[in-house]
Amino acid sequence: MNLVNIRDVLTSFSPALDYLAISTGDGRIKIWDTVKGQVQTEFADIASTEETNIYTKVAKGHLSVDYTCMKWLSLERKKKRKLGTSVLVLGTGGGDVLALDVASGQLKWRISDCHPGGVNAVSSSARASCIYSGGADGMVCQIDPHSGNLIRKFKASTKAVSSLCVSPDGKILVTASAQLKTFNCSDLKKIQKFTGHPGGVRCVAFTEDGKYVFSSAAGERYIAVWKSDGAKKQSASCVLALEHPPVFVDSWGETNEKGLYVLAISEIGVCYFWYASNVEELCNAKPTKVALATEDSPLKHHKGSLPIIFAAKLQGILKPGSAHAFIASGLLVKPSFQKMVLQFGTDLVLNASKDGILLSIAQVSKSSKGQGVQNRVITLDRAHAEDALLPIARVADLHEKLHSSDKDTDMVDQSQADHEETFSMEDKLRSLGILGGTDEQKNLTYASIIDGTDLEAYLPPKKLKSAVLSMEPSFAFKTLEALVAMWQTRACGGRHLLPWIYSIMVNHSHYIMSQEPKNQQLLNTLLKITKSRGTALQQLLQISGRLQLVTAQINKAAGNQTQTTAHDHEIDESEDEEEDVEEHFYGENDNESDLSSDDGKDKDDSLMEM
Amino acid sequence: MIRGGRSYVTSPPSFSNDAKKLLVCTGNTVSVFSAATGLQITSLEGHTAPVTTLIVVPAASSPAQKILCYCWTASLDGTVRHWDFSGPELLKTIDAQLPIYSMVIPSLLSEPQVQIDKRRELSGKLVAYVSVEDTSVVKEGTKELRGHIRRFNLAKPRIPRGDTLKETEEPESIVISPSGEFFGIRHKCKIHIWDVPSGGGSRHAVSRKMTLHHSKFINAFAFHPTERIIAAGDVTGRVLIWRGFGNRKLALGNQKKKVRAMVDLDNAGVRGEDDAESCTTWHWHSAEVNVLNFSSDGAYLYTGGREGVLVVWQLDTGKKKFLPRIGSPLLYFMWSPDPTLSSVVCADNQIHLLKMPSMEILRTISGIKPPPSLPRMYEGLASTVAFDRSSGIAALCTENYCVQLYNLLNDRGISEIQVCERNHQPGDEITVVVTAVALSLDGSVMSTTEVKLPEDGIGGLVSLKFWVSEPHSKTFTLSTIVYEPHRDAGVSAIAFHPTRSMAVSTSFGGDFKIWVCNSDKNQADKDSSWTCHAVGSYKKKPMTAAAFSGDGTVLAVAVENVITLWNPDKNILLSVLGATLTPITKLCFAGTSEFLVAASHFPRPELSVWNASNLSLSWSYGLRIEAVTSAVDSSSFAVLALIPKSFRTDESKENIFRSRDGAILLFNGSDPKPVSIWTVMKAKGGSISFLEGDKSQLRLAYVNGSHEYVVFDPNSDESHERSAVDYDGLAGQEETGDAGYTSLYGQLPDYDKKRMEDAESLATPFVSSERPWETIFSGSTLNFPPLQKLCAEFFESLMEKRTAVVE
Repeated sequence: MNLVNIRDVLTSFSPALDYLAISTGDGRIKIWDTVKGQVQTEFADIASTEETNIYTKVAKGHLSVDYTCMKWLSLERKKKRKLGTSVLVLGTGGGDVLALDVASGQLKWRISDCHPGGVNAVSSSARASCIYSGGADGMVCQIDPHSGNLIRKFKASTKAVSSLCVSPDGKILVTASAQLKTFNCSDLKKIQKFTGHPGGVRCVAFTEDGKYVFSSAAGERYIAVWKSDGAKKQSASCVLALEHPPVFVDSWGETNEKGLYVLAISEIGVCYFWYASNVEELCNAKPTKVALATEDSPLKHHKGSLPIIFAAKLQGILKPGSAHAFIASGLLVKPSFQKMVLQFGTDLVLNASKDGILLSIAQVSKSSKGQGVQNRVITLDRAHAEDALLPIARVADLHEKLHSSDKDTDMVDQSQADHEETFSMEDKLRSLGILGGTDEQKNLTYASIIDGTDLEAYLPPKKLKSAVLSMEPSFAFKTLEALVAMWQTRACGGRHLLPWIYSIMVNHSHYIMSQEPKNQQLLNTLLKITKSRGTALQQLLQISGRLQLVTAQINKAAGNQTQTTAHDHEIDESEDEEEDVEEHFYGENDNESDLSSDDGKDKDDSLMEM
Repeated sequence: MIRGGRSYVTSPPSFSNDAKKLLVCTGNTVSVFSAATGLQITSLEGHTAPVTTLIVVPAASSPAQKILCYCWTASLDGTVRHWDFSGPELLKTIDAQLPIYSMVIPSLLSEPQVQIDKRRELSGKLVAYVSVEDTSVVKEGTKELRGHIRRFNLAKPRIPRGDTLKETEEPESIVISPSGEFFGIRHKCKIHIWDVPSGGGSRHAVSRKMTLHHSKFINAFAFHPTERIIAAGDVTGRVLIWRGFGNRKLALGNQKKKVRAMVDLDNAGVRGEDDAESCTTWHWHSAEVNVLNFSSDGAYLYTGGREGVLVVWQLDTGKKKFLPRIGSPLLYFMWSPDPTLSSVVCADNQIHLLKMPSMEILRTISGIKPPPSLPRMYEGLASTVAFDRSSGIAALCTENYCVQLYNLLNDRGISEIQVCERNHQPGDEITVVVTAVALSLDGSVMSTTEVKLPEDGIGGLVSLKFWVSEPHSKTFTLSTIVYEPHRDAGVSAIAFHPTRSMAVSTSFGGDFKIWVCNSDKNQADKDSSWTCHAVGSYKKKPMTAAAFSGDGTVLAVAVENVITLWNPDKNILLSVLGATLTPITKLCFAGTSEFLVAASHFPRPELSVWNASNLSLSWSYGLRIEAVTSAVDSSSFAVLALIPKSFRTDESKENIFRSRDGAILLFNGSDPKPVSIWTVMKAKGGSISFLEGDKSQLRLAYVNGSHEYVVFDPNSDESHERSAVDYDGLAGQEETGDAGYTSLYGQLPDYDKKRMEDAESLATPFVSSERPWETIFSGSTLNFPPLQKLCAEFFESLMEKRTAVVE
């Protein structure tokens, strides 16, 4: 297995990022489908198949061609959303420029001997109105991408043009040898000259708005940033340092609005990412690295071909400092593609997939065993399926009662009437909009606040009081809020909540009063609820009294003795320590809790006393 | 606006003369694919109805003519068009005025030189034989013979009625012999054959006709390229070969040959008075034969049928060779001018390019697969399409127990996941049905359910499977199988939690189960298995639908007529939303808002929107809803409604709907007025979903009943929408705002009002009821009388009852 240097690998994404063309220097081009992760097509021999010229027939076969640069364009049609032709423009070491129609798999056009000595770079603007190619002869050719006609040709430098790039709007062209020159595309006048690179520049790139140029020369461990709208001659505005020489630079973003995003891939297949809001900051920005995990004993034995990142493209900006990038990584024989979010400041380590490596037998057996583990399938049969963590559903308090009443619908007794009563009243209030405005989510977060305390358990008043007193005032207030919310949304029955609410009101009244201006709404809702429930109270009590009377008569007629138990602790408590505001609340609350209480007889007793 | 998912298999494809391009009829357009890469190169657009016939003008063998790229197309829109498909450029349009189902142009085959063809065209003679449907007859009565075989002259821009050669009940497809001498149609158990008047002669030259008979219905037939041999396949799988047909009736030299034919009259296998020398029968196929094609030299016969096996017969000896395991019924087999390339078209929307002598599949042009044919009991219940909203990928159940992942944004298949471990043999009885597929919001988990149908009432098995995605290979691997997740009951719905690895499955057996992935806790991603987290039920009633709220804190489960709201973590029943009139089949939270959309359709269709914050009904329509979807970020939601037939056939509305049977209505939160409406075709069995690829763009994807789809921006302006609509017609014209609404759904608010009145009239008469306390509180809380009144009334009613008992 021979090591393929990443410098010799040509990659180009299709504009829609659904294909990646890779040429590894043997004259073959593989088109990978980035969605499926499979080879779509392979082009070999494309340059020589349709050749009828006697002179070029001598060198046949794909190894006779060496591609030096590659660029994927999509030629837009006038009508939108119509199938545009995808064209792969290639330059060869023999000086030819050719274009492949990717969809039909045929040579679209070819310009022979465009640049004697070899084509070094091709580029086009975002709209692909024309292609520029630069070669060893120092010339730059402007080519019509549809027909392959040479539009014009001019001398860009006395030395070989090693790289070139057109700004996305297609107005400025930058050519590079050791020295960078910018040209106005319309009249081909030289605008600027950037000097400073010691040798031939390997890669140049424009920012989206065309205001900055990034360049890096072969063997340099930095990327120079140049201002394209500044003075005629200038030095680099800043320099981005890498650990290894970069082979590819991509950038995104407008300098004045979104900030600058720069993406580069170094020779050893590590992706670097910079972000800054302006150039001054960019100088000081520390790059974020994306690399593949380099563990793996099996891989170390393989000379050379380590999995690397070999192509990347910035797709868009998520928010300041993070961007979507499309990355092709792994081995060149089996790349994997992923769209990922690059967050500036957090280095990423990708997992290298071992697909595509020829392993020795021992390793194969090992890895296949590993695969077995990976593909383990858990099977649950009927018994397991029933083995749930929460096998029985709990029901919010109110509905539990409903269930129980469902069971004995035939028994017409007071308690049932009471259940129904509470249900309908709360619903009524809800539909009136008094309880509206909260949703379940809020409710649940409240429930989490008072998670520790078991509301449902019955506590004697004194214990309740001590528990409330032990609370911090602020916590107590929070609890109060939660309780009110729960009462409002009926997450828990009023019977359980009201003693707590009352107790908190009584014991932490000072704190509540101090918080009052801030949280007037809370007490207002409490007041509203209690008031609205209170309005119905009088009638209820009357009816209840009559009911009591009737049942008593019935029972008497049946000869049954009903025992009534006195259970009026709350009335007792109501006597002591009341304050002006709370008094009002208390009276209502108390009765309300009685109303919704389970055994109607309590109420009847208190009623009789009244 | 992205369209796709068109069927590639409606009519036979055709190779270009250099065999580098393959022309495929795709709906209203003809797509040109590259045979080398399998990618689409261009398309011919212009027809306004599906293209039915595609004839590439053959070129002579000289290499200069091989690059000529002309073709004729005929369409149901009643036009015949002439194209240069290298351009692509429309050269000529001929209006035939009747929908054309099939067309042949014999002179192209008999005299392939284009020069001659052109000269003939100039002299006003290019005769085509077409199979048309006489639409004027259709309206009069159904018993009429609608299908006509006619002769047209394509050299004229407008075609008069033409001579009718034959009338049949249905338009039949015409088959032409490779030499261009004969053409014929199959009609039930008969094959009618005409010969083409030789020499192109006068317009009034009459074709002579003969008929071959068989005892079974004939499915397909083909002519031998050089000899007078016809091969036909029938519905039982027999292949019949008639040799020497038409020696008497279609003889060239008349008298002399007629005498010879008389001698051969007693030949074996020929029925009755049929004009053929002999008839041989080959029987290998077990089911109907659809594909019949002779090789270009006439030595072999290719046949194929429902069982998905391509068979090559050596014509002289009857020896066979097979290409098995194509996996789907074969529809067409086409030769290319390149002898090493041919193509097979399958019913599952795949075109396989075959390397010829060895019959290997070189490359497949893969379209979206058609929906599986489900047993009747699962119709309408199954949800066989799921969407990955972020990447625009749809997961579709297919016939061969697979889930196909299809990228809607660039119209390409991605991969296929075999759900059940069994081989699909087309034509076998269906024993396993994949009833549902669901994808989590981020697309990382898929869940499927399948039912093994019981045989004679025993052996039925329901299983639920969870799959995790493999980011590198774009496929899913099985993580957990649950056999009988709800005892014997079937799974009615699966829904995923929007943010966590949690799913819920509901069953007709009256319970739902919440499943969680245990890899949530320990990060070891290698063994992510799903376990049952909670079980819940409500009054043991069948549960029919489930949905998580936008933030995932509330789970709504439809239990027949009511909706129960649960806390999925703690398994607590939070509350119950009042009753709809009919059992709910679809449930969906409207994005982040508190509204809950419920749809039910049997026996009375209803779309109702509930407000979860005050547990009341907001509004409802009497519409049959096929699918519901909601946007994640906003409160808008869209429904796919079937337009009632009575409404559609209304005289005044007919031109609005044409053949569209459904409408997509986009609503915004609580507002009962739709924001916009689009009418669509083939809505039955369709599904919709919002796609949220990029932050800025919200798109709506609609996949119709035959898996064609359209992706569009629901908020885009009308004009753009219209231009795109005229071009195809899958999604119809959009009508935004009031005008469209009132014109289409003017009466619907009345529905609503009436329903409310109904509900009230149901709720009020509690005095007369036998046990009023039972009925008072059932139903929506909205309909309750004021509280004071209610209490008094209630107890009064109770009192009266009681006193009656006492006295």
